[in-house]
Amino acid sequence: MTGPARGRARGAGGTAWRALVLVAVAAARLGAQDSQYGVRGLGTPGRWESVRARSTGGAFGPFDPASPLMEASLADVGSLAAGAMVGAAYRSVDLAGTTSALRATRFPLFTLAGRVLSRLAVAAGFTTYLDKSWDVTLRDSLLLRGVQQRYTDEITSDGSVADLRFAAASRLSRRLAIGGAVHLLTGSTRMTAERRFDDSTFQAFQQAATVRYDGMGISGSVLVGLAPGLSVAAWGRSDRRLRAVVADTTVAETDLPRMAGGGVQLLPSRKARLAAAVAWRSWSRAGPGAFDTWSWSAGGEFGGGASALRFGVRGGQVPFGPGTSPPTEFAVAAGVGRALSHGRALIDLGVERLARTGGGLRERVWSVLVGVAVRP
Amino acid sequence: MTAARATLVAGALLAAACVERLSAPGQCPAFCPSGQITVVDTLLAANIARDSAFRGYVDPPGDSLMLAADLGFVDSRPIFRFRGVGPRLPIRTNDTTTGAVLGADSARLKLFVTRRDTAAHNLTLRLYRLPRSIDTATSFAGLAGPFADSLVRTVNLDTLLARPSKKDSVTGDSAVVDTVNHRVVVWLKLDTAAARYVAADTGQVAYGLRVSADSLASIALGKGGIGPELQWYLKVDSLGTPVKRAPTVTAGFASFVFDPPPPALDSTLAVGGVPAARSILRVSLPRVIRDSAHIIRATLLLVPAVAARGAPADSFQVEAHTVLADFGAKSPLAIDVTRADTARIRIGATDSVAIEVTNLLQAWAVDTTRPTTIVLRAQPEGGSFAEIRFYSSRTPAYRPALRVTFLPRFPFGAP
Repeated sequence: MTGPARGRARGAGGTAWRALVLVAVAAARLGAQDSQYGVRGLGTPGRWESVRARSTGGAFGPFDPASPLMEASLADVGSLAAGAMVGAAYRSVDLAGTTSALRATRFPLFTLAGRVLSRLAVAAGFTTYLDKSWDVTLRDSLLLRGVQQRYTDEITSDGSVADLRFAAASRLSRRLAIGGAVHLLTGSTRMTAERRFDDSTFQAFQQAATVRYDGMGISGSVLVGLAPGLSVAAWGRSDRRLRAVVADTTVAETDLPRMAGGGVQLLPSRKARLAAAVAWRSWSRAGPGAFDTWSWSAGGEFGGGASALRFGVRGGQVPFGPGTSPPTEFAVAAGVGRALSHGRALIDLGVERLARTGGGLRERVWSVLVGVAVRP
Repeated sequence: MTAARATLVAGALLAAACVERLSAPGQCPAFCPSGQITVVDTLLAANIARDSAFRGYVDPPGDSLMLAADLGFVDSRPIFRFRGVGPRLPIRTNDTTTGAVLGADSARLKLFVTRRDTAAHNLTLRLYRLPRSIDTATSFAGLAGPFADSLVRTVNLDTLLARPSKKDSVTGDSAVVDTVNHRVVVWLKLDTAAARYVAADTGQVAYGLRVSADSLASIALGKGGIGPELQWYLKVDSLGTPVKRAPTVTAGFASFVFDPPPPALDSTLAVGGVPAARSILRVSLPRVIRDSAHIIRATLLLVPAVAARGAPADSFQVEAHTVLADFGAKSPLAIDVTRADTARIRIGATDSVAIEVTNLLQAWAVDTTRPTTIVLRAQPEGGSFAEIRFYSSRTPAYRPALRVTFLPRFPFGAP
């Protein structure tokens, strides 16, 4: 790279870094896909996958440099690239014979990656670690002053915990790439609790507070090319405690899970790519009502050049739920990708149908995903 | 589907979803937050102390009403003195030329009855002429003579109100019922004997009123803007020819005298009566409630030591106020509807009285520097002879108590 070109690259990189910081500040209020199972637990864990990976059920997550699941895949990133994602979820919740239709829009992912040395690539970005946006209404009664008093409770939480990731990766040889990252967990939720009695003699109760969260973690990964067209990946991550602070007082410290996973990618031809992945997360460290989870996914991507067609399935367990066993989930996904401007811009569209079941609750979710990646 | 079409569809779906809808019914505890709203209802039975009563807040001359009552335990008589019209009056309305007042043909006395018991039948007003020397020092006993021998008019108010047009064509008396303000305006026709114009007194006259009925009689007459008025029908000398003038004068002094005086204050908490009594209660509010809880209901529980006496129409409100500063009997009240609560006191009832004082306790929780003092007073203060007495903290079995329902702070951030 020539001197002026390096200067332009540094300039573009500096602007991009500033943009990242600005966006990351807002990231604390962004989220991923909510679930009623996350109301009682820490929240709904985010999916650290780009639209491309989500469209394959998550199977390409370990091999996709735009997905913040693994760092080693960043080793093959060429020029500076930035990507973002927006998703809308239409959720149907069946609980005790009552069906609620919910919907939400989220901006769960932003990544910025580029090569800084011939063998070193770095990336930064944010993704949703825990989504904590929910609104629960409850109708009940209690015996108060000798009279059964009916009331309505509404407890809301609006916010999330974001995972700010600073990652580096290096290709050590033609067959081996490694990577590592530091994760800063930060975010906040605006919580309100309100009770209104039918008997207006009892005045309404409403309190609100902002709960701030912080924590950190590290992760590492390795990508091995076993043979031409056959790669395997492995990753691990350990997060420390998530601290919850209200008005400068620590109200909770919760152990976060350790995670490990891996995947295999097969390229049988230039226009077909197949992958599968598996992950384990020790969410039971978070306390009662939390479970260790396994998840799996398999998918494929077909097409070459400017467009691609994707599909995939995934299944596994949900970390939080009532009872003695974790709820389960299963999803099918599909999507398309399109390159524009000679590959300088990529648009990915995906749709996912997800079902979660357990503890007497059924959730059905349609998710519409749009991803944009730019290579200036 | 082309990428452009797919983008369009996705964009439309995203736009439609931009309005969040996250509210869902909860089923606790499985699908509710681990932190729940909890309610605590507690009786603070021994947290009210240093309570006592004081009298003299509103006395008869300072009262906004004149009380006429014949209740058995008290006999009260309004007294009022009209201003003089002077020795001379203008001969014509548009002329400054005056003539000497020769005498009075008659007069019309206007009274505003602001409160009466419609269940008391044969409500009768008796008007007495009093010496014009009455003032704030005049006692009930000092007027025994005039009230015995100076009766000038008697009118049965029930009979008058029952007449067509509420007018008595014989006596000239009439009445109007003001349904908006719930008043009865009474006009009494006074003849020359009843309305004597004494030139030496420049027309100053004073009257007193007694009330009676088949049962307990208790009414209130207005003062000030709705006080007694006297319209004179005078003869004025106009160069030897008498001309008629009809000036109206208002009462320069209006009060009432009663007997016997109220019983002395004792260890009970007296509220109401005349002169008006107030009771002051100091509350020791636990810090857990005052500092860390949201009070949704607070009730002051009082046990009457003596039932309120009087006519049924004398039922009154007891107001519970907080104070701006605790100076004992002279504590300035916080006159603010958000820092006052009320309860109705029924005559003759001995049931426990519950006053909702949620506003007061919430005000204390908002500003913890405020004195946690409650003052009980009647409303309207001095509006009747009805007085209630509650047991104080010196009677442990029936001492005042506070029942507080509160919610501790919600455990925000709990996993």
